[in-house]
Amino acid sequence: MSAVRAVVAKDLRLLWRQRSGWVSAGAFAAITILTFSFALDLATGDVRPLLPGVLWVTFLFAGIIASGHSFVQEQEQGTFDAMLLAPVPRTALYLGKAIANLIALLTIEVAVLGLATILFGITLLDAELGLITLIGTTGYVSMTTLLSTMGGQARARAVLLPVLSLPVLVPLLIAAVRATGGALGEPTGSAPWMLLLSVFTLWSLMGAALLFPLVVER
Amino acid sequence: MDHLEYLFAGFAVFWAGLFVYLLWLQMRLRTLQRELEQLQERLEEEQPATAPREVAAPAEGPTSARTAERGV
Amino acid sequence: MSARGFEATNAATGNGPLGLVTRLALRAYSLRWVALPPLVGISMFALIVGAVIAAPREAVEGEVQRLFYIHVPSAIAAYGAFFVVFVCSIALLWKRDMRWDAVARSAAGVGVLFTGFALATGAIWGRPIWGVYWTWDARLTSTLILFLLYSGYLLARSVAEPSDEQAARFGAVFAIIAFADIPIIQMSVRWWRTLHPQPIVFDPTPSLPGEMLIVLGIGFIAITLLATWLIVLRAETESLTLRAQELRARLDRREERGMGRS
Repeated sequence: MSAVRAVVAKDLRLLWRQRSGWVSAGAFAAITILTFSFALDLATGDVRPLLPGVLWVTFLFAGIIASGHSFVQEQEQGTFDAMLLAPVPRTALYLGKAIANLIALLTIEVAVLGLATILFGITLLDAELGLITLIGTTGYVSMTTLLSTMGGQARARAVLLPVLSLPVLVPLLIAAVRATGGALGEPTGSAPWMLLLSVFTLWSLMGAALLFPLVVER
Repeated sequence: MDHLEYLFAGFAVFWAGLFVYLLWLQMRLRTLQRELEQLQERLEEEQPATAPREVAAPAEGPTSARTAERGV
Repeated sequence: MSARGFEATNAATGNGPLGLVTRLALRAYSLRWVALPPLVGISMFALIVGAVIAAPREAVEGEVQRLFYIHVPSAIAAYGAFFVVFVCSIALLWKRDMRWDAVARSAAGVGVLFTGFALATGAIWGRPIWGVYWTWDARLTSTLILFLLYSGYLLARSVAEPSDEQAARFGAVFAIIAFADIPIIQMSVRWWRTLHPQPIVFDPTPSLPGEMLIVLGIGFIAITLLATWLIVLRAETESLTLRAQELRARLDRREERGMGRS
């Protein structure tokens, strides 16, 4: 347990030192929302049907790009290999990374939700939406943390990571978008989708935590 | 109401796809063949006496497939 | 197989039913070059005759429905191929023998090919029947996601050398995730399409008359055999390529040592 705490602390410190990368990811997310506003003409008419999709695509893209970058930096500085030599259980390494990524992405998402609230005049900072965002983000962060560790070697890693992660994350995207829609007032409600979202997140977390040691062993 | 042209197109896609895949497979086999020839040459440069023994690829594998095909 | 080989295998696999099955499987495997081509030829021929001539003409859709006998078996064969990728990935992570990676890559290639066939025949069949090439039908959409998923796997393996062990391990982990994800993807896409109001609703496949079922059965056998043969062909080529590269590496090392001495 203390190993996990130590790794999380180290990853959070790393996060803080690399905050420029994460701030860029946040800026990217904000720009994505704006791009969608222009492209889908979100200025006129009811935004509610489109908003869940816009939000989650933004979250996913920002998350995938940010995960890729953060791992590359750590690899280039050789610190990751140093961590592997230390007597730390691999799962702790994974959890540390994942939790740090999660915190960073949740921060970005809260900012984006705030921005969207202002832009579209809909209250997006409520409890139900927060829960959906939390579970959904945990789901995709757990997967992209694992996949970014794997793609770290390839030269085409920047394009490879989205190509690999997005098909795997389709259930999460569907569930998160529909749940968010339910929270924003769609008739179907969000309950069945929350269930699917939670199941996927659990599966993704357990699977990634189990497979991570296999990925990093030399 | 039979839409025969679509039936034809569907089967054609299937056969064309298979054919293209087999052609690509053949291409990889040729690459392998060239690689083996190069290796044989290199061995012969060094030790002409022992070269043939080392690079004799086993009789199983694609060569047998071709013989089997010819027999069908 | 030599007599010594038989004894060794008998000793290794034991006398119980599992041993017997393993020995039968190994025997079948050793006969693959002799058995597969004629089996594939005969069954595919039977499929063509059955699909185009023998099967009855479908009342509503007409002759175009005959594409069904390729469409459905292709999808099933693709799933089978992806299962092979899954098993080989586990074997690779367990045994660290790169030949498992060769089989995995081959199976993935064949799986993507047959998924493509399923999608293409589905679209071509759909155009005259539904009026459109694509509907966001749950099964078609799941199949498309599957296609993209394993295309990603092939892409990831192609940017690395075939002999790159680490890339092979990464691919294996991804393949395990992908295969475990398949049921979840199908479930979520189905929920998406049914818990959501739709303009077009499709009846599930009605029960088929006997003759159609027979041809469909032949189709399953034929296309599964075809897929198996293609996987075996590619896997052997890849395996041999690996050995050739190994030989090349040994030659390189020997040359270097020779040059060092002189």
